[in-house]
Amino acid sequence: MALELVVVTPEGEALSETVEQVVLPGEAGEFGVLESHERFLTPLSPGPMQIVRGGANREWAAISSGFAEVDGAHVVVLVDRCRRASEIDHAETEARRVEAADALAALPEDEEHAGERLRLAGVVATAELELDVVGR
Amino acid sequence: MANLRDIKRRIGSVQSTQKITSAMKMVAAAKLRRAQEAIEDARPYAVRMRSTLEQVSQGVLEETHPLLEVHEDRRSLEVVVITSDRGLAAAFNANAIKAAERILAKRGAEFVEVGLTLLGKKAVDHFKRHRAKQITYASPIGGDVTYQKAADVARELARRYEAGDVDEVVLVFNEFVSTMTQTPRVSQLLPFEPPKADGAEAVAEEASAYEIEPDPEALLAALVPKAVEVEVFRALLENQAGEHAARMTAMESATKNTEELIEKLTLQYNRARQAAITGELVEIVTGAQALD
Repeated sequence: MALELVVVTPEGEALSETVEQVVLPGEAGEFGVLESHERFLTPLSPGPMQIVRGGANREWAAISSGFAEVDGAHVVVLVDRCRRASEIDHAETEARRVEAADALAALPEDEEHAGERLRLAGVVATAELELDVVGR
Repeated sequence: MANLRDIKRRIGSVQSTQKITSAMKMVAAAKLRRAQEAIEDARPYAVRMRSTLEQVSQGVLEETHPLLEVHEDRRSLEVVVITSDRGLAAAFNANAIKAAERILAKRGAEFVEVGLTLLGKKAVDHFKRHRAKQITYASPIGGDVTYQKAADVARELARRYEAGDVDEVVLVFNEFVSTMTQTPRVSQLLPFEPPKADGAEAVAEEASAYEIEPDPEALLAALVPKAVEVEVFRALLENQAGEHAARMTAMESATKNTEELIEKLTLQYNRARQAAITGELVEIVTGAQALD
């Protein structure tokens, strides 16, 4: 097993380690990458990423949309945001979800607020995903 | 001759000003280091994003994305102005605002309407006074720059561009060249111009080695909005580092000025003191002579 997983976000490298397998949320569906996978480039949807380090040693992380570059020995994941399950604070995330959901419900459904509605929906979705990941 | 006590008081007040300026300088230096680290942290992502974009846009030369398309109808221009929230940074913010005003004067006439997206209190304060009606979005920077903030702004601009509400978006910000130099920069954000590969052959070779799934168009759809977000993020980071650098330099020269002033005042104080002593001596001597 020698698959080098690197997760890069605009705020720095979130993760860099050797793993056995990684399962990513592709836009066309979930896919797993093992060593000597053929080289390819694909967009990712926001979703859970599973890191398999060997046997039962698995870890989950929540990633935002982005894309993955795969070659035989490396997986480079470029995303806006990556939170490992161990980094997620349940109470804080839940508070963020509730706050955004309330603000969203309070907004009128007109053209003027379309951008703000989109932004809040994004915050809610991210928080929900992180809560899901932490519960796995 | 100034009163001794007055001079002493002035020296005291200049000294406390010096304490403040030198403390501010040190704080700015620490913040500058953090801001520079943030720029470093952002670099790998930006570099990879760029190289991927080069690869993909090579494969799909004429394949367009709504954000790459130049609008035929040029009705509305949006100018994004980025400044800091706080002053005391020499001409840092004034320069960015001046550059923005120049662009508004130069390009404004080409469009029916011009909107302003303002990031940073200084820009907001200035344009609220002068062009309040044109402001479409205004927000302070508020603490450390996060990607989320940049992405929110960029997504909103992209959404309005795709909807046809805006036909061109220009970004005005201070570029952090070095600790001593920050230059205002004006760059076009939308329509987005994909980076052109320099070593075209080498890149083409590498691109062919990658299988793109499901297809280049889908990848481009994911990439372009992110590249726009990265541009805004970079501008915010440059502005942040530039602000602290400008403040550090400003406070350093302020501290130097107080030093000079203290030296001058001390000299004046000593002269005045000497004059007073001489005066007293003269009085005593004259008094003694009068007795003889």
